[in-house]
Amino acid sequence: MTARAEFLDRIRREVARTPGLFGAATAPRPAQPAAAAETVRRELAERWPQALDRFRLEFERVAGVFHRVADLGAVPDILVRIARERGAGRFVTWDPGVLGFDAAPVLTREGLTVVAARAGQEDEASRQRHRADAAAAQIGVTGADLVLAETGTLVLLSGSGRPRSTSLLPDVHVAVFGRDRLVETLEQVGIVLESLHVDPPRSMSGAMINFITGPSRTADIELTLTRGVHGPKEVHAIFVEAP
Amino acid sequence: MSDAALRVPFPERAGAALKDAFLQEALTIATTKFIDLRKESFAGFPQGEALRDRARAIKEATLQHLDTHLERLADNVERVGGTVHWATSADEAREIVLRLCRDRGVRMAVKSKSMATEEIDLNEALEHAGVTPVETDLGEYIIQLAHEKPSHIIAPAIHKTKGQVAELFSRELHGEFPADPEILTAVARRALREKFLQADMGITGANFAVADTGTIVLVTNEGNGRMVTSLPRIHVALMGIEKVIPSMTDLMVFLAILARSATGQKLSSYTTLVRGPRRPGELEGPEELHLVLLDNGRSRQIASTLREALYCLRCGACLNVCPVYRQIGGHAYGHTYPGPIGILLTAMLKGDRSVRDLAHASSLCGACKDVCPVRIDIPRMLIELREHLDREKIAPWTERAVFRLFRRLLLSPAAFRLSVRAGRWLQRPFVHAGRLRGLPLLFGSWTRTRDLPAVASRTFREQWKDLR
Repeated sequence: MTARAEFLDRIRREVARTPGLFGAATAPRPAQPAAAAETVRRELAERWPQALDRFRLEFERVAGVFHRVADLGAVPDILVRIARERGAGRFVTWDPGVLGFDAAPVLTREGLTVVAARAGQEDEASRQRHRADAAAAQIGVTGADLVLAETGTLVLLSGSGRPRSTSLLPDVHVAVFGRDRLVETLEQVGIVLESLHVDPPRSMSGAMINFITGPSRTADIELTLTRGVHGPKEVHAIFVEAP
Repeated sequence: MSDAALRVPFPERAGAALKDAFLQEALTIATTKFIDLRKESFAGFPQGEALRDRARAIKEATLQHLDTHLERLADNVERVGGTVHWATSADEAREIVLRLCRDRGVRMAVKSKSMATEEIDLNEALEHAGVTPVETDLGEYIIQLAHEKPSHIIAPAIHKTKGQVAELFSRELHGEFPADPEILTAVARRALREKFLQADMGITGANFAVADTGTIVLVTNEGNGRMVTSLPRIHVALMGIEKVIPSMTDLMVFLAILARSATGQKLSSYTTLVRGPRRPGELEGPEELHLVLLDNGRSRQIASTLREALYCLRCGACLNVCPVYRQIGGHAYGHTYPGPIGILLTAMLKGDRSVRDLAHASSLCGACKDVCPVRIDIPRMLIELREHLDREKIAPWTERAVFRLFRRLLLSPAAFRLSVRAGRWLQRPFVHAGRLRGLPLLFGSWTRTRDLPAVASRTFREQWKDLR
């Protein structure tokens, strides 16, 4: 195993031997990421209806299923309907505190099983239990930290009370979001991620960010498009109107 | 690719591929589909061309300070709790992974598709050390069960029929499965789900690594990249040093063009950003993250002829449009990286001598350069490579002698005129339907795999003289 210094010295020597092929610069980072992200937020406060329309169009193009409800109180009914239509009985969800609503009362009343991740649980026993629950669940319910219109993409940050597998192991993933999560372009996502990075308490609370654009898919056998090869076969997005 | 396969010379490997009727059809269907999807995707994306220029500039600018960016990447990966390893050669990279397996009692490792691990033949080394590597990308899984090698960078099993896959799964997974892609995919889902939940280690490559944040970026459609970085207790990422990019802002430029170039998607289903092992408070994620930075011949090219090949994103677009790849497929190339860019990457990793024949497996038509998301000038480098093979006397002496003679003829009008006249007379026994075939002696190896237009009964120059 080469030592770091020796490895980097070799590269430094090679880099010094040439001016390069042409004068070039990397993409300029926003000078003040937090302010730039705030500007994006302000702009979207005006333009969110157009962004939502575009998101819906692109999301449905990648086989996503879009729902729209008046307020959080209507979300559990949609979840019940999704479960009934698919004959599914087991849910796993992010922490209700993170989601902003608790679907368990309605779902259990309907005879469905719900396991919610709880922020703060991280001992080995909870870990093992949660993994088994997530692997057994047919529907996973999460929030979405960013909803990207131009590609129909849901961006999810992992962290306390927001496990990675909720949007991965179950056959169906349902993400619930409001207007404040909408952005229009990848470039804006870049700005938000740059601002996240200069905000250590937020950026250090979870180690993974996933961009999810439709269900898991493959075309590896004779180029036949097949959904749900490893991850979810279906992805639903529920837009909640009430701010 | 095993050395045994390479003992068969390239023209014979290519010849066998040309006679394989199924392969021919599969290649045409697959590459044509990828070309159409890419074209459609860029047609509705007017900013795409400017983004390609920016992406190219980012790659070049990053290379101009590669040492600094790697240093920052390593510092930031360590700051968030990861461990960085430095591997000068493939041997070192394998040894790093094997030692991790030994020290931590790893028995099974699940892998998400990674060309870098193919490049260092990691699977063989793991098996030899008693660790079971499981490829989890469906195409790679099929290839692994069949003990074969990938034939396309992003569609590794395009050379297999659904019937062959059904037969393979029935035998290896003990069942009776029909030749239905949907059912076969479900079979693989069940088999691999178990492996994801059991494995001790997840092994990935990296499409990008962001120096500012110490983030490893994986782009997949199946979600296996997420599985292997979320479920096992150890995550090992192996990446070539050229994959580092400075910032999240840069990353967005690449994401906007990568999937479009590869499969015509706006984004792949999953883009996964991994920043160190799991954090306090997280229920899931690995306890340990190891990043192995692999040189393996790359740094030698920073100030050399193949520099531009270090921009490559491994999207596969140049394979699909290449008239040679479209005919012979990935296996005939005989190395990890096929297609036009593969010739250059093979020269980079294994030395010029390894592409003595392959350097000529291109018509220099330039289609690869047109579709490359970062506009790599592959034809220019192929010509330079050929020139180098000649200068270093790596090319066969017969080839060099013929070209030297040709050069003489072209430099002297009198010699050229004379040779045309002599050629017209000498070519007679070998002309069939206006083409020269089956030339004798030195020229034989040239016409074995191609034909040439015959010298015209009256050349342009002769007609021109009469016209005046």
